Amino acid sequence: MTDQTPLVRIEGVSKHFGDTVALDNLTLDIARGEFVTFLGPSGCGKSTTLRILGGFERPTTGRVILDGQDVTTQPPEKRQVNMVFQDYALFPHMTVGQNISFGLELKGMDKTSIKRRSDEIMAFLELDAFGDRYPAQLSGGQRQRVALARALAPDPALLLLDEPLGALDAKLRGQVQQELKSIQRRTNKTFFFVTHDQEEALTMSDRIVVMNKGRVEQDGTPEDLYFHPASRFVAEFIGETNLLSGEMRGHDGDAVVMDWFGQTLRGHAPAGAPPEGAPITASVRLEKLGFHASRPETGNAVQGKVVGKTFLGSRMAVDLMVEEAQGATLRAFVDAETGQTVGADPVWIGWDSDSMAVLRD
Amino acid sequence: MSNEAASRATQDVDAHTRVGRTFWGRLSNWSPYRALMGLVTASPRRQFLILAIFPLLWVLTQHLGPMLQMVRVSLTDAYPVAPGVEQHFTLDNYARFFGDQIFWQPFFRTLIFAGGFTFCTLILTYPVAYFLARHVSRKNQMLFLLLLLIPFWVGEIVRTYAIMILLGNTGALNLVLQSLGLIDRPIPFMYTSFSMGVGIVYLTALYMLLPLYSALEKLPRSYNEAAADLGAGAWTRFRRVTLPLTIEGISSGCTLVFLISTGFYATPVLLGGPSTTTFAETIAGFFHVAGDEWPTGAAFATIMFFAALVLTAVFQKLMNALRKGDTK
Amino acid sequence: MNRGNRILLSCVYWAFVLYVFVPLILMILMGFKDSKFIGFPIKSWTLDWYTGIFADAEILSTLGYSAAIAVLATLISVAVGTWIAVLLEGRKFWGRTAIFGMTVLPALVPGIISAIAFRIYARYLGIEPGMGAIVWAHAVHNVPFVVLVVMARLSTLPKSQLEAARDLGADPIIAFLRITLPYLVPAILGASIFCLLLSFDDFVRSFFLGGYEPTLPVLIFAKLKSGMSPEINAIATVALVLTAAIGIWAERFTRRMNKDTKA
Repeated sequence: MTDQTPLVRIEGVSKHFGDTVALDNLTLDIARGEFVTFLGPSGCGKSTTLRILGGFERPTTGRVILDGQDVTTQPPEKRQVNMVFQDYALFPHMTVGQNISFGLELKGMDKTSIKRRSDEIMAFLELDAFGDRYPAQLSGGQRQRVALARALAPDPALLLLDEPLGALDAKLRGQVQQELKSIQRRTNKTFFFVTHDQEEALTMSDRIVVMNKGRVEQDGTPEDLYFHPASRFVAEFIGETNLLSGEMRGHDGDAVVMDWFGQTLRGHAPAGAPPEGAPITASVRLEKLGFHASRPETGNAVQGKVVGKTFLGSRMAVDLMVEEAQGATLRAFVDAETGQTVGADPVWIGWDSDSMAVLRD
Repeated sequence: MSNEAASRATQDVDAHTRVGRTFWGRLSNWSPYRALMGLVTASPRRQFLILAIFPLLWVLTQHLGPMLQMVRVSLTDAYPVAPGVEQHFTLDNYARFFGDQIFWQPFFRTLIFAGGFTFCTLILTYPVAYFLARHVSRKNQMLFLLLLLIPFWVGEIVRTYAIMILLGNTGALNLVLQSLGLIDRPIPFMYTSFSMGVGIVYLTALYMLLPLYSALEKLPRSYNEAAADLGAGAWTRFRRVTLPLTIEGISSGCTLVFLISTGFYATPVLLGGPSTTTFAETIAGFFHVAGDEWPTGAAFATIMFFAALVLTAVFQKLMNALRKGDTK
Repeated sequence: MNRGNRILLSCVYWAFVLYVFVPLILMILMGFKDSKFIGFPIKSWTLDWYTGIFADAEILSTLGYSAAIAVLATLISVAVGTWIAVLLEGRKFWGRTAIFGMTVLPALVPGIISAIAFRIYARYLGIEPGMGAIVWAHAVHNVPFVVLVVMARLSTLPKSQLEAARDLGADPIIAFLRITLPYLVPAILGASIFCLLLSFDDFVRSFFLGGYEPTLPVLIFAKLKSGMSPEINAIATVALVLTAAIGIWAERFTRRMNKDTKA
């Protein structure tokens, strides 16, 4: 499909539950074939958004447009949207085959077409052998695939996934993440995925929307969010980071100049630069810090003393104290060999101005 | 001719595709049904109203209605109304109750008996429930409980009759006592408050046993072990730990048994005598004779109902206070 | 000490078992006594009382009448009770507590008062004493038990089950019929059996709302008032065996169903 109009258009949607605001004026487009993840802590509004798209909640204000049609007040059974539930919600009194046929039957398909379609989808998800089993006789991973098959069978325009990997153990989860991503590519369906697990979001998504307190914190590609977080919340929620509190000094071309306990540092401001003299926080990822024997020519550099090391297998986390910056600490990821060699002598720590983002609070 | 054939052919095609669908597929795509469901699901509010309207009407007219009508009739001078007679509002039916000992004596007797029998039931069933919950392995608990349940599926009349056979002058109890040489002549157990008590306790024991059992079963055994660990003896453990924590079960069991006891009609008629006339028999009396006594009967039933309600409410309040006092 | 307690308590339990069983066993034995006079000891035995009642058209028709009333009343109670349970379970709305209170009311009203209130109301609605009136009174009286049992089961149905059905294209009615109802089957069966027994055994409502045709408990009561006879024992034993058999079967059946759905 080369249709350029967005599949989903969320226009100024808010949802109030009594006095609490679950979703605050959300406006967003979702393109066809996109794998979008809504990421955030519990109560951030991600599940409410999913339930509004599914038709299980009606927004207090705003509209939802699906494929050019206003579906704001449409009940779930009328929408071309299917969902994979957190607990899978497989019908326990129906076999795998009956579960998968459920949606097809209600579409009014005849029995031969239902059989053809459910066989096809079961083959696609390697469930052929389980057609006559009941959900209680399946493993967690198999149930998860049945839930996916059941939701994909009626050929929805949009597939909603509500933390569907939460119930799986860590090892299986990694494998299923890969599978999900590849299924999404092969079917070219639009996936709307909701999770609180940042790693999951980074692995699978084309685009991540970070939510907090009913509002969008940042909306971008996984790389964008990771290396150029716009706010302190995003920087802290995704991955591990060094947060540097300082004061805004001014501009130097594209770069922003800040003062960090007497050290002058350069970064960039994806969310817009604050006025001069304002207190600011900047974020730089642990793996962006490099060790040098002498002061590097370009970029930011400070001198630090190693105060702690944590061995993490393939790499090592090194804690450093910067005496010149009133004893502030930084943490860096280095490969295990480098980590072993740094020691008592102070080292130069350097990083690019591109890798440090000034955050919105 | 050919038109007819053609239309039959299209009908066949329709029939074929319709047969091809499943029942649910046909139903949900049948246009009148779709239109109807469209109207129903148009808004969550409307959907809720459609769901709620029947239950609401039912409980108002069928559950509350009879009680309200009873109270209304109790305030009139004639019911059913004969043609040409006018119905008047009156409190005379209530006044009659206080005016004659023959009416209020059975009333108080019923309440006192019911209270006493409830207490007896509690004393009798508590150890049984305790044994079931504490000393029977979890696997056997249902079996032991089921054994007690079986007799309780048998109806009120049959079980009352069984008590009559047990306690009669030539009944099993007298036979046993005589053959043991304990008595010379049969003791007249029947038609006394004793026989009535045995019958009522026999009929209500289960309603006490089940709440007690579920309260005791929920109580973690570790509480008792902790108390024992702190040096509490068996009696102290029971009085300070088990009893206070099962007050809820005691309270609901007693309430149930009390309400049921006050409502028995056949059992006092069959097992009791002239000296044990209960209020249920008094009330019933107004419905056996000519219809113009109905308002009085209704008034007496209303008095009974509110008395029972107030007493159980006070009792529950007391038990609640006791529980809170103990946990402090 | 603990051991002594245990033995003492187990004696109490078995004494209680005797207390609940002995009167019934005596009653059954008396039905085989070869004498018109009720009382112990029993010197000779007979089956005549049983052949007598099974040849008695009146008693057989009473049995059928009671069973028909029980079945009809149960069907109504189960349908209405399930509907009310679906409304009340897991939903918060204004007036819910009031509706719940009114729902359980008939179960809390003492028997005689409930019978009187139904008698007056039947007159008010223009229902003549007889089968219709008894069925109606039993149905109303049994609704609370159905509601409580069905609500308990319904509270364990994950909300996502119905949402999944809706999501896959089922409207609320189809979702109820295909998901909720199958899930409720054990509860509905259990409640039905309970209602059948309550209705079949009920005396006071049948007595005050009945016409000329008696139900089985009313027939036994009337016969008792005119004098005890082993014939009554035989009738009561038939009623006892019927109810106990249904009860035991239901207990086993619902427990097996519960086990199945838990797996």
